[in-house]
Amino acid sequence: MLEFRNVSKVYSAKKKEVVGVDNVSLIINSGDIFGIVGYSGAGKSSLLRCINLLERPTSGEILINGKDLTKLSRNELRLARLKIGMIFQHFYLISQKTVGENIAFALKAASMPANAIPARVDELLEMVGLAEKRDVYPAQLSGGQKQRVGIARALANNPAMLLCDEATSALDPKTTVSILRLLKEINKKLGITIVLITHEMDVVKEICNRMAVMQDGKVIEEGDVYDIFASPQKILTQEFISSVVSFDIPKTILKDVRGQIVKILFKGNVAGEGVISDTMQRFEVKGNFLHGTIEYIQERPLGIFLMELQGEDSELAKARAYMTERGAIVEVVLHV
Amino acid sequence: MFDVTHFIDMVPDLLKAFQETIIMIGISLSVSIVLGLPLGILLFVTDKGLFWENRLIKSVFGFAVNLIRSIPYIILLVALFPLTKLLVGQTIGPIAASVSLSVAAIPFFARLVETSLREIDKGVIEASIAVGATPWMIIKDVLIPEAKSSIIQAVTVTVISLVAFSAMAGVVGGGGIGDLAIRFGYYRYDNTIMIATVAILILLVQAIQIAGDWFAKSIDKR
Ligand SMILES: Nc1ncnc2c1ncn2[C@@H]1O[C@H](COP(=O)(O)OP(=O)(O)OP(=O)(O)O)[C@@H](O)[C@H]1O
Ligand SMILES: [Mg+2]
Repeated sequence: MLEFRNVSKVYSAKKKEVVGVDNVSLIINSGDIFGIVGYSGAGKSSLLRCINLLERPTSGEILINGKDLTKLSRNELRLARLKIGMIFQHFYLISQKTVGENIAFALKAASMPANAIPARVDELLEMVGLAEKRDVYPAQLSGGQKQRVGIARALANNPAMLLCDEATSALDPKTTVSILRLLKEINKKLGITIVLITHEMDVVKEICNRMAVMQDGKVIEEGDVYDIFASPQKILTQEFISSVVSFDIPKTILKDVRGQIVKILFKGNVAGEGVISDTMQRFEVKGNFLHGTIEYIQERPLGIFLMELQGEDSELAKARAYMTERGAIVEVVLHV
Repeated sequence: MFDVTHFIDMVPDLLKAFQETIIMIGISLSVSIVLGLPLGILLFVTDKGLFWENRLIKSVFGFAVNLIRSIPYIILLVALFPLTKLLVGQTIGPIAASVSLSVAAIPFFARLVETSLREIDKGVIEASIAVGATPWMIIKDVLIPEAKSSIIQAVTVTVISLVAFSAMAGVVGGGGIGDLAIRFGYYRYDNTIMIATVAILILLVQAIQIAGDWFAKSIDKR
């Protein structure tokens, strides 16, 4: 388990103080794939880099399984870093060393006996699907392949945790999907906790089980990815989610709306359409679908419907109560 | 103006002078690499934000380097006569000249090395720290390999500066091509020797530059 306890990071650059991380307390459980989202400058990288102390927090504690990393000596910290892998947007491989040598470098850091290194390098390359690239230099690889080397290097010493700073931001969509698949596999097979930063909600939706939203150095919302997608609390979170799950209704439609517009959510396997048609039959309410979709988040369906409902206010209230009873989350978006 | 028979007569002297120049450059280059490379690395890794960040060491060595570099070579040469005498036993000849050449070249080369290291993407160094590498590993397996090509360019520039400095050393009896140019070309108005020495220096510098560029490029894996 990784815990941030009141972590702050203040940069002092040219007389001015910039707050990178502002009093963050957060728990990331072992085995999680934890996503951190936020706009540029929100403090995502700063927070992530506090985990392996590439950035030393100005105050607060970083606890891994209860042990405070900020209290470690130089060499203890170095040894702790062997168990925290990290990958970067721009890969940062040693350009003058071959793929195999880049990975061997990480193994040497852990003082692995020289005669055991080649076999381990091959094993790691096998795992990331680059077995035939061992003697090639990074310049001869594609972005996706470089990131795979980065992943192999990060996993060399069997870390408990993998930190990913925008690991897919420099890659095309198809390569992104393959890297995400690899990360997911690593998480499942090796049980490695993954903390990843991204500004693409698709990435979060694809692989994360828990997430946090950052703004101005603070974590403004955190929780289960499915729950946050289903009912984002903060405006910023809603903004992010709307890039994946849209609730917007075209203005031209809004103009002709009579009655009220409701948003109806069905979490999990509730058969949404059935509930809605039952409701229409039971009550003196006329309904019009404006929008309907089923999103799969973490492989769990989330049904989202926008409807225009017309009828007496009392009937509308009853209809809403009925749908809520049947497991829907109903929210009045607009009342004309 | 260019007297071929005189030139042929002088070939043995030219060869000797050339040999002396090579000795001066060879000795002072070796010394400046052996001492200047670690010094350049030290200047870099004690800088702000790096793993051996140390204001005191950085400013003491930085000051010493600037100090020596701010002294014109010809003054340094004369000022170092006592040290030269102590080390070599005399102040004339190519070995003696190598002392001041080395002193001048060490800080020069160290600064170039520091600049080369600064060109390395900080991210690569950070990634190595994140991997748990020791400072020595980072120096040996990241800093030096990543800057290797650029350091070879720095060696090239240093050698070329040494050619120029060694010619100056010739003025005060250091020997070598410069010595020959002064003694014959200047004091005796011997145009043939003047042209020959200048031509040798031009060819030497060109050859060093071409070889350096080729070598730097051939080992770069980017
Ligand atoms: N080394 C530094 N020195 C000074 N200020 C910094 C430094 N690193 C980050 N900051 C500042 O801290 C704040 C948070 O930066 P950070 O890099 O953590 O944001 P981010 O969320 O990762 O942004 P991005 O999405 O652009 O990567 C910004 O205002 C930034 O300018
Ligand atoms: Mg960032």
